Amino acid sequence: MSSPSSLLPLEHLHPALWRAHQLGRGRDAVHASGYAALDAELPGGGWPQRAITELLLAGTGWGEMRLLAPVLARVGAAGRGVLLLGPPAEPCAEALAQLGLALARCVVIRGDDLLWPLEQALRSGQVGAVVAWAPPRLKGEALRRLQLAAQSHEGPAFVVRPASVATQPSPAPLRLLLSGAGPDAMAVRLVKRRGPALEQPVLLALPPVLSRAARQRALTPRRTRTHVQALSALA
Amino acid sequence: MLWIGVHLPALSLESFVATLAPERPTEAPIVGDLDDVDPVDLVGPVALIEHHRIVAANAAAREGGVKVGQKRATALALAPQTRLGEADPARDEAALMAVAHVLMGFTPAVSFGGDHVVLAEVQASLRYFGGLPRLLQRLRAELVPLGHALRVACAPTAQGAQWMALVRDEPETTPVGSKAGWHARVGAVPVARMAAAAPHLAALEALGLATAADLWKQPRAGLTRRFGGELLADIDRALGECPDPRTALQPSPTFDSRLELFMRADDSAALLTGAAVLLNRLTAWATAHHGLVAGFELRLHHESLRKMRDDPASRSTMLEIGLGEPVADTAHLHSLLRERLQRLPLAASVIELSLHCRSITPGAPRNTELFPSAASAGEGWQRLLERFEARLGTHNIQRLQPVADHRPELATAVRQGGEPLPARTRAPGAPLNLPTPAGPASTASGDPAHWPRLKRPVWLLREPQPLRDEGGTPLLSGKPLWLVAGPERIESGWWDGAYAARDYFIAQDHEGALLWIYRFRRAPEVGEVGWYLQGRFG
Repeated sequence: MSSPSSLLPLEHLHPALWRAHQLGRGRDAVHASGYAALDAELPGGGWPQRAITELLLAGTGWGEMRLLAPVLARVGAAGRGVLLLGPPAEPCAEALAQLGLALARCVVIRGDDLLWPLEQALRSGQVGAVVAWAPPRLKGEALRRLQLAAQSHEGPAFVVRPASVATQPSPAPLRLLLSGAGPDAMAVRLVKRRGPALEQPVLLALPPVLSRAARQRALTPRRTRTHVQALSALA
Repeated sequence: MLWIGVHLPALSLESFVATLAPERPTEAPIVGDLDDVDPVDLVGPVALIEHHRIVAANAAAREGGVKVGQKRATALALAPQTRLGEADPARDEAALMAVAHVLMGFTPAVSFGGDHVVLAEVQASLRYFGGLPRLLQRLRAELVPLGHALRVACAPTAQGAQWMALVRDEPETTPVGSKAGWHARVGAVPVARMAAAAPHLAALEALGLATAADLWKQPRAGLTRRFGGELLADIDRALGECPDPRTALQPSPTFDSRLELFMRADDSAALLTGAAVLLNRLTAWATAHHGLVAGFELRLHHESLRKMRDDPASRSTMLEIGLGEPVADTAHLHSLLRERLQRLPLAASVIELSLHCRSITPGAPRNTELFPSAASAGEGWQRLLERFEARLGTHNIQRLQPVADHRPELATAVRQGGEPLPARTRAPGAPLNLPTPAGPASTASGDPAHWPRLKRPVWLLREPQPLRDEGGTPLLSGKPLWLVAGPERIESGWWDGAYAARDYFIAQDHEGALLWIYRFRRAPEVGEVGWYLQGRFG
């Protein structure tokens, strides 16, 4: 006679339960990231909703918007609003439109105090997706408040923070360290997720900026080429 | 004809008390539901005086021994903690006008009957509102925010409704069946309730005439000679035997209401208590117009300080609140005002508020929904943006729009404010409403690696950043940049003074991030910066 627990796998008892070597599933729907390789490693198979996701980024311009473009485009196409809070530079409308964002439903919020609108936006549950560039010094307490507020937010919520805080604890259930991996590519390290630790970063091919020839050029070892050669090659 | 009479027995006290913050007497905790408690009794003992005599007192003051007709000094000696306010007919009239405005939401035939009674003829509205009981229920519900005790009565004549409202509360929801029944009800009205009998009360009592029935049994000629014709004429009007035309009130085209604060207000909470009264009146006025409020101005009048004497402009603070989407919802207006007031530094204590509104848009309030749909979610989104606007300022809420211009610094139009984009009507020179590019939007589910090539960087620098140049190689923070694609020549703007002739390259920094840099088409002078950083491919 086998015990009931051996008949029924433990993780089937409750959707919030998972084994340490498995990926968490979560009860909530997820939003597919658009990158199959990334979805395979994210708990539930996509960006979580009702929770904040931390994107740890060494600087601006590593392809973070291209990474988020598929999910933001889909949220906008569903008729829901997208909020960009405190972006690090002026967003270019044409580029955002080309990435598929619905500009009519995309609002940029600026100002000194961005935590208040961020918390209100998450709490209201009326926003489709939120991308917030966090102020450099964000207290753990503020993050906990945001995480709490996000529980009524039906959509992905991204908080972009500097890579230096990767070692600090955070209440966000999902934390990703983004770094460049060559032209039009990105390496995503999952610093924290509901599931086993992942040693290897996930390599993603981003929406391209460069043509195939230009990418080849960018990949060739640089030391052998002088700038004059590069210019003449381009011409 | 079916007239509704709404009598506000405690109007003067209520309109005074509305500006006071409620206080709970600690020794006498209120038992039961708060809704059952009259707001007049929540603020402790309060009385109104006119010519140094008490004209009205609430229950708490009456418990302390304060009576109507007492002298001010007597009342204060009996109950020293009583707050005394000056009776103000203008204040009462403003409160009464708000009630009339609410009634105008039900029928256009609304008039004042005197003695704090508002009369409304609702016969023509009965079917629309689903019968008299439903109409009365809704009427009471819509009058709740104004915070008045009500006596409602229905009658077939205006004068009858006036008297019935003054006499009793329970509305007769069934129409009067017979003429005799109505005669009996009018006949029971005491002469003390009749405005025309007020100068003759003592004489009438001496004659033993106590009710309307007593009066009409007497010879008409004699009564008319002694007391004037008005008394009998009123009875005839109440009985419906004499025409009784009433002029319907018209809601004013703009809304102006002021409120004197009994206590000086030093913080936003106290201001909001007073402003809530004005906002309720504002929405009542919007109801009368069957319209929605699109914006309003609140002026805070400060107590005069010496330093303000030289500068009349500093004696008041003006708050302008505009709404992206017009509403008739006090709660939303209140929340917008709260955000604004909370971050408003007050130059001095506020003693008076005035609210002004002229932007009203026609339209019935939206239906509420049983199951929220995408449309109702959109409304919430709009309101969220309005709250952001109220708190952060319009300039901090931005919407982006592509413009047909090759120069990257001019290719994005930033529209401030949270209003939704206008429909596709394009004035010459206005930003383009570009259709969403066919590529990525339709293939958002496809592999992003195969999306069409991104032509412009997502992030543009506000000012192009000059790059140091070493033998023709641009340097960013000391590290060389490598050109991987380009040049893309942008030459435009010779007609508007912002001429640009640049060659753009996509460059890669030493860490592999892609940048968008340019140099001028003409060769740089010696010592001039050759390269500029314009954007980053985020």
